[in-house]
Amino acid sequence: MRALRSTRLTMPAVLADGRGLSGGMLRQLFIGQCLVLALHLAWMPAWLVGLALLVAGYRLVQLRRGLPRAGILLRLAAVGSLVLALWLQFGTLGSMDGLVGLLLGVYLLKLLETHDRRDARVVVVIGLVATTVAFLHDQGIPMAAGALLAVAWLLQSLVWLSGATGLRQAWRETAWLLALSAPLMVVLFVTFPRLGPLWSMPQMDRASTGLTDQISPGDIAQLSRSDARAFRASFEGRDPAPGERYWRVYTLSHFDGIRWSRATPEQLAATLDRPVDAFVREAVRSPWQSPEGAGFSAELLLEPDNRPWRPSLGTPLSSEELQRYLADGTLEGLTPLSSRSLMRLSSSGSPPTNSPPAGERWYRLLPEDANPRTRALAERLWRESGSDPDAYLEAMMARFGEAPYRYTLSPPRLVGEHRVDDFLFDSQAGYCTHYASAAAVMARMAGIPARVVAGFLGGERNPDGHFTVRDYDGHAWVEVWRNGAWQRLDPTAVIAPERVEQGTQAVDDGAEAFLADARFSPLRMREVDWANRLRQEWERLEYRWQRGVIGYQRESRRSLMAQLVSWWREAWARLDALLPGRGSLSTALSLVTTLVVAAGLALLAHRGWRHRRRQGDERWLVGHLQGWLARHGLAAHPGESPASHLRRVAPQAGPAGRALEECARDLERLAYAPLEEAERHQRRRRLSNRVAEVCRRLGRPRR
Amino acid sequence: MNVAGLATVGFSHRERLHHWWLRRLAASVEQPLPQRQLFLIPTRFGLGWAVLVVVLLLFGINYQNNLAYGLAFWLFSVGVVVVLRGWLNLLGVTPGLRLPREAFAGSEARLGVVLKARSDRTALELRCDGARGRVDIVDGLGETELALPTPRRGIQALPLLRVETRWPLGLVRVVAWVRHDAELLVWPHPVEEDEPVAHHAGAGLEAVDFAGLRRFQPGDSPGRVAWKQWSRTGVLTTKVFSVPPRQQLWLDYEACRGDPERRLSVLCARVLAHHQAGDRYGLRLPGLTLAQGEGEAQRRRALDALARFPASRSEGQA
Repeated sequence: MRALRSTRLTMPAVLADGRGLSGGMLRQLFIGQCLVLALHLAWMPAWLVGLALLVAGYRLVQLRRGLPRAGILLRLAAVGSLVLALWLQFGTLGSMDGLVGLLLGVYLLKLLETHDRRDARVVVVIGLVATTVAFLHDQGIPMAAGALLAVAWLLQSLVWLSGATGLRQAWRETAWLLALSAPLMVVLFVTFPRLGPLWSMPQMDRASTGLTDQISPGDIAQLSRSDARAFRASFEGRDPAPGERYWRVYTLSHFDGIRWSRATPEQLAATLDRPVDAFVREAVRSPWQSPEGAGFSAELLLEPDNRPWRPSLGTPLSSEELQRYLADGTLEGLTPLSSRSLMRLSSSGSPPTNSPPAGERWYRLLPEDANPRTRALAERLWRESGSDPDAYLEAMMARFGEAPYRYTLSPPRLVGEHRVDDFLFDSQAGYCTHYASAAAVMARMAGIPARVVAGFLGGERNPDGHFTVRDYDGHAWVEVWRNGAWQRLDPTAVIAPERVEQGTQAVDDGAEAFLADARFSPLRMREVDWANRLRQEWERLEYRWQRGVIGYQRESRRSLMAQLVSWWREAWARLDALLPGRGSLSTALSLVTTLVVAAGLALLAHRGWRHRRRQGDERWLVGHLQGWLARHGLAAHPGESPASHLRRVAPQAGPAGRALEECARDLERLAYAPLEEAERHQRRRRLSNRVAEVCRRLGRPRR
Repeated sequence: MNVAGLATVGFSHRERLHHWWLRRLAASVEQPLPQRQLFLIPTRFGLGWAVLVVVLLLFGINYQNNLAYGLAFWLFSVGVVVVLRGWLNLLGVTPGLRLPREAFAGSEARLGVVLKARSDRTALELRCDGARGRVDIVDGLGETELALPTPRRGIQALPLLRVETRWPLGLVRVVAWVRHDAELLVWPHPVEEDEPVAHHAGAGLEAVDFAGLRRFQPGDSPGRVAWKQWSRTGVLTTKVFSVPPRQQLWLDYEACRGDPERRLSVLCARVLAHHQAGDRYGLRLPGLTLAQGEGEAQRRRALDALARFPASRSEGQA
């Protein structure tokens, strides 16, 4: 039996000399490297896979052929070419991507000089660091699951290195380690105070979303049709109706004849020669708006981006943390987000009511000689509407609705100098940006202060109530200053009302243009019912993960802690009422008493159970009996069988002699006779009684 | 006198301290290792692990990355669990020693170590006097042999046996020192004499002398069964013959040349040779005479006598 087991003890991690690693262990390390690399692969150059294979292949050949170890020259050359390749790939090594690439490359190359147990452990530790670094790319559920697999594998490698002798043993130990440590991990995760960053670190370069801070209709022929998520929101209280889901992000107030661009507070302050805090203030509540009229309170789960923009439904009013409130009724964070994070925001749901921060004149500026045909049209409409701004705006919007204007996601390119003219009179096809730009220009031509707002419109509502806003929900519309408030004008709503109600995909020609940039998006399956449901379920899960686990930062920790404390208080109060006596001391005493009694009962039950189990095991019974006899000086001789021992000592045992003889007989029958289960059971019980009798008759041993 | 008195007091003091320390530190043999005598010592890798956890935690803090927090906490918790599992891996192991039957100076003795425990244990490392071994306890029992160097003849006290384990991750070492009173009796290093002793006169003798009858045992040759005896008494017996002693001789310390250790070595070699030849021999050492005899017991008695022969007296005699 033992021999058989020992033949199964194959593949020791460390060779017999106690130092060198076996080929099997190197394979373990290589698989670990592959798992860790897989976590990075979607964001890192693919040639790293080639590097991993190259190094592993070299080690394989080296082991097979018994070649000498990789020399210092080879290793230096390998590191040199790694650095060169990374430099060619990223143009610099200082960027975060470059640093991560360097870490991965060193991790892979380390296998070249991994020869003993210590080296192998270093490789595993680098692997753990590389796994952590992968969380900079993404923290979704797939990443977490992949990292769990990689960490389990790395731990299992360490178990092998500590002398595991079989695959099952190694995995069982790993599973025990992970399972036993998980509760402590959860407790630490929940209770550990969340601190702000201690010092600044190089950040990952993040691709920006489709939203830009300048738009030039016609420049780019196609709207961003990526299905990347921009942010998610869940509302406390009422959800906004489809026509209310205007998420404001930027206002674009500067027009140079071709493109609308954003004037940052700093630029405005410099241009207009006024202090910066006339345009932006850091605060928790918006200094520009009165806090009344907070229509919506949302919890936003923001995606990382390299700009600090924050969306708000209408005008932002207050948040829980310090933000930069801009005077144009938009919001910025203090820093760009390097990872997903949560923000609570209450907002008005409508355009701002504060007067134009840069003065009304700023919002009327237009280049004099651009777009002459539009100017003529504007003058005509102005005359026809009897110089009444409201009537003028109404006429303008109506014109967008009547004329042969078309909403399309892939309009013809416009390259001329007079873009608005070209659009309004020639191409007459475009999407939100074209219409917003034309409408704002026409409003300004009539002397009405106007600006373009860039943001998002709509969002997909998940069955559990949260909204997902994606890049293709990006939208642009117009705000005009009328009667002491900004007023929203959305020309797109006139031309393509279904865009507002149902989103981009509802537009006629959207069918093939929509999602053109996301060929394999699951969103393409939204017509298939079960697939759509599956996708929404997944998104719900992912949202909860992001909110609950990834977004578990200072605020959520504080509220969870407060909740735990209140639960504890409540339970304590209930206990206080339940238990006799008054005051916390007596409650505590009775609690302790209850616990002690419960523990005592549990212990008794456990002992009783063990005793019961032992009563059914004749070997244990006899062992117990022999131990008892040994303490009376009647120990067994070496090599003596239990039955012959009992027989031999029976004459010396006095009153217990007869019981001992019977014990021996029962024992032999149990051991050798082919008995029915019922009789076996009966004999066991008799043996148990006899053993008890012997112990009773012999009495407690003298010590 | 005074100084000498002080010295003895100091010595006994130190001795007492040493004994106390031994009692506190070392567990005793043939008893399950108790909690009190298991010691946890972090390894270098364990310290590295602590640094790793701190680095990952700082990473999580600085990048506000909750998964990094989670991994840091998990690795920390694994470190805690490892201490527990390593400790349980050694707790309750019953160490036992099996002394080597024979050990000659200048070679090595195979000290058997038997470890017992109720549950399976993995990767227990043993260390004693520079020798190392590894045991896994499977089905309640694990054993191995440690190759102890035996440089000198005589009684060799064995140092404490160290049982340790770094299972399961190598982060901590759980160590127990086991005290025992086992001593090795190291026989002299056998040295062949320059001129070989010619005593093969009795070679090839067969067992022919009738020595008596004994009760039949299964496996006895039918040719040796006393059939006549059986027909008469009904008891099956076997005739026993003995080999005639080939030579009767005395091995004498005084008759050897060289320094005392060399004489003992030569005597040792001769004991071995005569034993192999089946001779009947006695041993004369200064102050000790071993009567003539033969067989395994005689060999052992003779070699033990040689091993115990006090070095000081041999020097005095020389």
